[in-house]
Amino acid sequence: MPSHPEGILESSDPTSEENPRTQDHQPDLQKLHIQSSETDSGKASQDSALDNGHDDSGEFVVTMLARSKVEEQGMGTKDASSPLSETGTPLGPPSHRNEDVTADSWRQHRKHVFVLSEAGKPIYSRYGSEEALSSTMGVMMALVSFVQSGDNTIRSVYSDEHTVVFTQRGPLVLVSVSSSRQSEQQLRQELLYVYNQIVSMLTQASITRIFEHKKNYDLRRLLAGSEKILDGLLNLVDSDPSILLSAVHCLPLASSLRDSLSQILQKSITPNLVFSILIAKNQLLTIVQEKTVIEDARLEPSDLHLLLNLIGASSAFQAGEIWTPICLPSFNPDCYFYAYISYLDPPECTVCLVLLSTDKEAFYSVAECKRKIEEAMQTQNALNSIAKAHLYSVSQVGVSDLRHFMYKPFDVPDNHRQLTQFTSPEMEAPYSSEEERMRLLDLYRDMHSRIHSTSRPLKLIYHVAERETLLAWVTSKFELYTCFSPLVTKTCAINAITKLLRWIKKEEDRLFIRYPPKYSTTPNPSKSSKSDAH
Amino acid sequence: MPQATRTKKPDVKVVILGDMNVGKTSLLHRYTERKFKDTISTVGGAFFMKQWGPYNISIWDTAGREQFHGLGSMYCRGAAAVILTYDVTNWQSLAELENRFLSLTDTANADCIFAIVGNKADLTDTRIQGPDTDGEQVDERQPVVTCPTSPAILHKQVSREDAIALYSHVLRYKGLEEKACLPADKMCFETSAKTGYNVDSLFESLFDLVLPSILKKRSEGESSTVDLESPMEVKTNKAGCCS
Ligand SMILES: Nc1nc2c(ncn2[C@@H]2O[C@H](COP(=O)(O)OP(=O)(O)OP(=O)(O)O)[C@@H](O)[C@H]2O)c(=O)[nH]1
Ligand SMILES: [Mg+2]
Repeated sequence: MPSHPEGILESSDPTSEENPRTQDHQPDLQKLHIQSSETDSGKASQDSALDNGHDDSGEFVVTMLARSKVEEQGMGTKDASSPLSETGTPLGPPSHRNEDVTADSWRQHRKHVFVLSEAGKPIYSRYGSEEALSSTMGVMMALVSFVQSGDNTIRSVYSDEHTVVFTQRGPLVLVSVSSSRQSEQQLRQELLYVYNQIVSMLTQASITRIFEHKKNYDLRRLLAGSEKILDGLLNLVDSDPSILLSAVHCLPLASSLRDSLSQILQKSITPNLVFSILIAKNQLLTIVQEKTVIEDARLEPSDLHLLLNLIGASSAFQAGEIWTPICLPSFNPDCYFYAYISYLDPPECTVCLVLLSTDKEAFYSVAECKRKIEEAMQTQNALNSIAKAHLYSVSQVGVSDLRHFMYKPFDVPDNHRQLTQFTSPEMEAPYSSEEERMRLLDLYRDMHSRIHSTSRPLKLIYHVAERETLLAWVTSKFELYTCFSPLVTKTCAINAITKLLRWIKKEEDRLFIRYPPKYSTTPNPSKSSKSDAH
Repeated sequence: MPQATRTKKPDVKVVILGDMNVGKTSLLHRYTERKFKDTISTVGGAFFMKQWGPYNISIWDTAGREQFHGLGSMYCRGAAAVILTYDVTNWQSLAELENRFLSLTDTANADCIFAIVGNKADLTDTRIQGPDTDGEQVDERQPVVTCPTSPAILHKQVSREDAIALYSHVLRYKGLEEKACLPADKMCFETSAKTGYNVDSLFESLFDLVLPSILKKRSEGESSTVDLESPMEVKTNKAGCCS
């Protein structure tokens, strides 16, 4: 990232740059907007004054929907929310269910995700079998079509404890039932990821074709076996801030080493190869791209997340060399790439090579590229150096009260669009346990939703919570989330951020992939596989 | 003549086909790593290289999921042997071999050999657990290692006769004279990836059977080695779009 935030801090008004997200006040660092931890502003859940009594029928979703407010978005009119009970939706009596889905433990899952077809056929449920939940899905579908028939599209339902978000993509309806207190926007983005992961396996064109052909097709026939991939994605969504930030986390690496790895990839090419990606410990080491293919497009972070999830969700990948079609939905939702996936360090299997080709028949020539890459890496003893690479500790920043941060620069080199990245240290004590890590991520998610609120976006939040103090700051150059010990003063925090930004500037060659290298494998530029992506 | 860098190229190709969940990956895993461990449904296909004497045998473990059906004939291209795998406790998995998988082998070599493999034999094996046997003769070449805490015996849905019948269907489909081919009783196997029963003998007898195919190819010289590597048909749509 050549342009850099350090200069901004020295200006008197750090947020004076135009920021399209912000319509209201522009606080500067000295006039921090303080919101206490108790505040839960902007959460529509507060609006719903519905009784909190526990209900003993098994119809978790049905009950919740029936007692909640429905937010509809009209086709042009922003209609006021209307309680569902007044619409007279014929919600049937609770039907019989399997024991597991009626159990309290099933209801208490933090976030349920359901995918169903427009005809109401269950496709996926994060917890419980789709069969057992088919009546729930049917109710959801009834709700969706009821609202659709009134020319409205159902978008979300809020109750005291849950947020239900609906989204329709082509013939698929996706539903998130969450008690995570995330914003509707965030939940919707997560559902989009789920949809895109399904597209990554089937392509949008074939999903559309299938349902055009047969409206009540059972898509599970095609997705059978893929549940683990979707489960893995949802776990990633909950536990990895990459998806929240829509950015790629790359493994910190001396730029000389990263460059030499890139050069190895650059030299080991074959016709129709379009992306060469090297991954270690589930993080990006380097990515090299074909010139002509990416003239009008680039690999979006979301596509890379989907690809990484697909690789991570399958331990079967760890033996042998995989050759499989994969669609990168943001790049082009209707076409397949052919992915060659192989680990370079068996049996540990932490360093993974992914080569994407547009040629279905190219396995042997792509596999030959891997041999070349392996050989070159051996001569440079690169695997050894990679093994030494690891996340950094926040203590390296040298700011005493700083516990953790996430920094995502927006700046883009002049000549080509960059892969959006972020950097973040390891989560260390007091965030080393699973629960504490999740709690910190939830705090970040909350800050993120307030920063990106559509109704009242903020540029700066100084949030004093019980066990920590958080400061989130978005400028035209970067988005930053920091976590301090609770005793930090505002002045301290501001000084710390100045220091942190200096440190990042100093380390940026190591923390980020600065200039993604390219190669040319397509002799004829018209072969660009990007035919109808946007 | 093959160059030094080509020495690791496969001499011959073996493809494992069959419905999802029948245990294709588990079989290969048992054979190559001598273990039975948790698997995840395969995506696309996985390529393995097995050193067999002086030869390199490539093995493709394919995904049984319908999602990847379109790729099957690509993995089968130029195959010298195809292992058609079903699950002995699931009759449908045998039917799928004929309905869905047999046509994928159109791209295999003309002299491709076929093995019919009924996996998960441990689930129906009654020899140790009781007299409730359907008169099944089990190959004795390998000792059966049965888990001491075996789960309840499942009903065997596919008999060896069914498998043998499928074998002759395969030959008929291929337009081959049964008499001129390897006999069904030699090419129908029942295996257990879980216990290892019959797994080595499946792969090893198959490897021995494809040796003539390797020798024939070698005698034909370099050109046939290249044939294996390069696609038979040149795609006009290099972009790989499926529209
Ligand atoms: N009891 C028993 N279970 C087996 C045996 N072989 C495989 N399994 C189980 O069957 C399931 C599927 O095994 P896989 O090897 O993944 O099946 P596959 O044919 O590769 O499936 P796809 O990759 O989806 O086509 C797993 O749960 C295995 O543990 C066996 O011999 N006996
Ligand atoms: Mg498999």
